[in-house]
Amino acid sequence: MKVARNVKVKNSLGLHTRPAASIVRLLQSFKSAVTFTCKNETINARSIMSILMLAARKNTQITITAEGSDAEALVDRLVRAFDNEFGEG
Amino acid sequence: MYTVQEFYDNHKKELSLALEAGGEGLDRRIRKPEAHRPGLSLTGEMRRFETARLIIIGRHELDFLRKFDTLTCKTRLSEILTPLTPAVIVARGRIPPKELVELCEKQQLPLFRSPERATKLLSRVAFLLLEEFAPTTTLHGTLVEIFGVGVLIQGDSSVGKSEAALGLIEKGHRLISDDVVKVKKNEHFQLVGSGPEITRHLMEIRGIGIVNVAHLYGAVCVRPNKVIDLVVKLEEWDSQHFYDRVGLEQKYIDFLDTSIPYHLVPLKPGRDIVLLLETIALNHRLREMGYNSAREFNAKLIEAISKREPKRLRRRIAK
Repeated sequence: MKVARNVKVKNSLGLHTRPAASIVRLLQSFKSAVTFTCKNETINARSIMSILMLAARKNTQITITAEGSDAEALVDRLVRAFDNEFGEG
Repeated sequence: MYTVQEFYDNHKKELSLALEAGGEGLDRRIRKPEAHRPGLSLTGEMRRFETARLIIIGRHELDFLRKFDTLTCKTRLSEILTPLTPAVIVARGRIPPKELVELCEKQQLPLFRSPERATKLLSRVAFLLLEEFAPTTTLHGTLVEIFGVGVLIQGDSSVGKSEAALGLIEKGHRLISDDVVKVKKNEHFQLVGSGPEITRHLMEIRGIGIVNVAHLYGAVCVRPNKVIDLVVKLEEWDSQHFYDRVGLEQKYIDFLDTSIPYHLVPLKPGRDIVLLLETIALNHRLREMGYNSAREFNAKLIEAISKREPKRLRRRIAK
């Protein structure tokens, strides 16, 4: 199953090291393959370095694409994490 | 979409560009990685004239234009300055003729001035544009230089790419980029890998975190970019899979329509991955020098077999 959804970076500092780490940690419990697409760049969301490379600031649009058996739940969980500003709010 | 603004921002220093007129047109698109000295087109010979090229006007053209009155000069110029023309550069720091300035202002076409000679500008601009237009992609993997061979280590997350790179750095090899590699095809159809600016020389090691290897091991252990000569894919040992045991056939993998020699290396506790990677790189160098260990050995073997046959036959006959 393939799921794609758009999210916006909401926390004021953007996707810095701490949110990137929490994304990677969150993904550990899922099996699906996940990518982020941002500014014409598609990266593996399980890699901290790749997420950091995006240097996504506040209000950047990111497309999450997940493929695999638990894709739906994974995307839900990720969107919630983005919405709640990775607990930084 | 590549605009004149981007070109100006990226290369104004190198080409010493100064904007003279037509600043509103900086959002014009550069459609082709080509630059052109109008020369013949200024005489009115407009057949086969390519409209989408960046125009470079040198001494020669300026002297020629001076022969005309304002009206003719304008008509000739307006023929070569089309809506598709991205920009005009006047070479040798000459002051552009007022007809050119007026036309550029009117058409909102960026007009630059540069102190360089037109010939140099022409080759430099063409080269820079070709580079900007080169196909690029982003790959997941770690790029290292081992004994001068650019090796891209790929494999699933947590298979040990970064650890392998760390081991290699410790032995005096170099890191180009960890985890994310930006790849560009150069004019020789080689793939040049480099690290994204922001994560340059950084590595993420499970259990340690993010480390800067340039700071830890010094400037000698890093490099900004490197041609990718080899791709090594690391994977967990799969007992069902038959791994290459002789190395007679070279496998290839394609990126940006370029084939690169490829090795699949299985990992198992106790296999020294650093040593394996060094051996693969050395073997690649040997091959580049014209010596293929596996093939050479096989040739020797075949020769030995064919020599021995008659002897055995003889013995059999003697019996």
